[in-house]
Amino acid sequence: MKFSTRILIVDDEEMICESLQAWFVRDGYQVETALSGEAALKIVENSPADIYLVDIKMPHMDGIEFLTRLKECQPNAIVVMMTAHGTVQTAVEAMKRGAMDYFCKPFDPDELSLFMERILANKALREENNTLKELLSESNQQGLSEVFIVHSEPMRAIFSKIEEVAPSSAPILITGETGVGKDMVAKAIHFRSERSCGPFLAVNCGSLSESILESELFGHEKGAFTGAVKARRGRLEMAHNGTLFLDEVGEISQKMQVSLLRAIEEKSFLRLGGSQPISSDFRLISATHRDLPSLIKEKQFRDDFYYRINVITIDVPPLRERLDDIPVLADHFLKRYAEETGKSLGGFTHKAIDLLSSYHWPGNIRELRNVVERAVVIARGRMIGAEELTFVNPRHDAGLIGSATLRELEINQIKAALESCNWNIVRSSKRLGIDRSTLMRKMKRYRLDRC
Amino acid sequence: MARKGSRKTGESHIDIVPIGHVDALAVSVVAANLQTLMGLNADTLPLHPEPEYAYLAVRSQYAAGKIIKELESIDEGSRFKLGIVQCDLCTPILKFVFGESQLGGKAAVISLHRLQDKDPARTYLRAAKIGLHETGHLLGIGHCQTHDCLMAFVSTIEKLDGQPARFCTACQYEISRTLKYIFG
Repeated sequence: MKFSTRILIVDDEEMICESLQAWFVRDGYQVETALSGEAALKIVENSPADIYLVDIKMPHMDGIEFLTRLKECQPNAIVVMMTAHGTVQTAVEAMKRGAMDYFCKPFDPDELSLFMERILANKALREENNTLKELLSESNQQGLSEVFIVHSEPMRAIFSKIEEVAPSSAPILITGETGVGKDMVAKAIHFRSERSCGPFLAVNCGSLSESILESELFGHEKGAFTGAVKARRGRLEMAHNGTLFLDEVGEISQKMQVSLLRAIEEKSFLRLGGSQPISSDFRLISATHRDLPSLIKEKQFRDDFYYRINVITIDVPPLRERLDDIPVLADHFLKRYAEETGKSLGGFTHKAIDLLSSYHWPGNIRELRNVVERAVVIARGRMIGAEELTFVNPRHDAGLIGSATLRELEINQIKAALESCNWNIVRSSKRLGIDRSTLMRKMKRYRLDRC
Repeated sequence: MARKGSRKTGESHIDIVPIGHVDALAVSVVAANLQTLMGLNADTLPLHPEPEYAYLAVRSQYAAGKIIKELESIDEGSRFKLGIVQCDLCTPILKFVFGESQLGGKAAVISLHRLQDKDPARTYLRAAKIGLHETGHLLGIGHCQTHDCLMAFVSTIEKLDGQPARFCTACQYEISRTLKYIFG
C-alpha cells in the first residue's frame, strides 16, 4: 500500500519539508512538498495526493485555510495537521474542519511510524468501504448479487474450477457467448480470492473508443489532452490490490494491447501525459465472446498479449447447453421482478417452462432475464403461462430456425403438431408420420405435457 | 581495519570518519561488519573535531543534517563517508535519530549516544546494525518491509536489539548489484 501512496507535505520551513520528505521516501512513499498553502493547492489541482501533512502556522494562507479549501475540492482527503507550538486549540479547530489528526513537531520516531501505520489502515478501510458501496450499488442496479446459480452439471464444473483458481494471482480468460454471465464468473473469482477485500473494477473495452479506453485504463495528468482539466486515476491504478476485469478484450486495438502487456508484465505504467511510473498490483481477468485464436491467425490480435492474459481459461457454456439451469434461473428472475413490481406470482406453468426450455436463447441469461421481466410486467394471473411468453414461441420465430439444434427443431415440431391436434396423440402421431408409441416416448423425453 | 593506500582497483570501499570523542573499538566493529556483510572495505580517516557547528542549543542535541553536509564536503578518499559521533543526533522532524543518511547520496552519520549498554559488545553490535542500515541507504536502498532485515525501519532500541544482523535476500541482492554497478 505504501508504494502507491502519495503524500503532500505543506510547510513553510524548507528544512522540515526536506527532512519529512527524506524520511517518507526512505520508507517507500511517493512524496511532494509545498512551501505554502497556495503552492500546495496548485499541486492538488494537477495531481491530488492521498495524504496531506500540513503545518498549521504558515504566512499568508495558514494550515486551517488550506484545509478548508482542500476539503472543498477533495472532501475525502486525509489531512494531518502539524504544529510546532502545541496550539491544541487550533488543532481542535482543524479536527472540526475535517482533519484526521494532528501531532506536534518534532516527532518521536516510534510515534511517527505507528502514526503512519494507523493512517494507512484508515485509508485502506475508507477505500474498502468505497469499493463495497460501489459494488453494492452496482449489484442493486444490475440485480446480479446472487445470480451465480450453480445447478446444471456444466456450471458445477465451472464453479469447481473457480474455487480452484481463485486463490492464485494468475490471469484468467473467460470465454463464452454474449450474455452467459462472464462478468458473474469474474466477480465470483474475485470474491473467492485473497484480493476480495480489494476493489473489483470492470471495464467494457468494446463500448469505449480507443482514446477514451486508454485514459480510462491508464488515467491521465492534467492537460494531457484537450478536456483533461484535472488529473484522473486510471482503472489500472485503482485496481491496486484488487482485480481488473477487462470485458470484451477482443475489441482492444493492437496498440493498446502492447501498452497493456507492458503494464501487466512490469506492474507499473505511466498516466497519459505523466512521467512518473505508477506501480499497481492487480489480478487481471479478461473476457471475450470472440474466437481469439482465429483473430490471431487473421493478425487482428497479438499472440504475446493473448498468451499473457490466457494463463487459465474458463469457458462458460451457452444457456441452450445447460437446459437444467433455465427453470431455476427463470424462477430466480421471476421472484426478483415480482418483488420489484409488487405482484404476487406463484411461478410458471409447465407449458411456460417447456416453452422456455425449448427456446435456443441466442441472448443467453441476459435475454432470459428480459423475457421474464416482461412476462412479470404483463402477467394477469397468479402463474406465468405460455401466453405471456409468446415472443419466444418458436412458431413465431422462424428466423431463428437457422441456428436451432436438431433437438430444438424436433421439440418445436412435436409441440406444433400436438397443439394443432388439440393434444390428441393418435392424430398428432399421424400428422408427424411416426407411430403412437414413438411420439409418447419423445413427449416423455422432452417433458411435453398439456397443462 | 583497512587503511588508506591499501585499496585495489574495482574494490568497493567507504570512508569511516570518527567525529569528536568516539570509542575506537566501536569504529572498528562497524568497519568489520561493513566488510563482512556488505563487502565494503572501510578506511578510517583521521579523527575530526567535535561538531560544534551542528549544536542546537534549543534542543541540546546535534543536527544530523549539518554533520552530513560537512562529511559530504570532504573531497579526499572514497565517494562514501560514514561519520560516527558520540553526541545525540536529531533532525528537524524527529526528536532523535540513531543515524541519518542521504538516500543514494554520499554521506551518512550514526550516533553511539542512545546505543550504550552496560555490555560493550551489545553497544558495538547496535552500532554495527545502524552503520549497515545507513550505508544501505547510501546505496539507494529504502526501508524494507521484511521485519528481520537490517533495512527495516526501527524506532526503538528494543526493536533494534530484536533485529538480526543480516539483510534479507532481496536487499542483499540489491546491495551486491549496486556495489557492482558503482565500483565495477
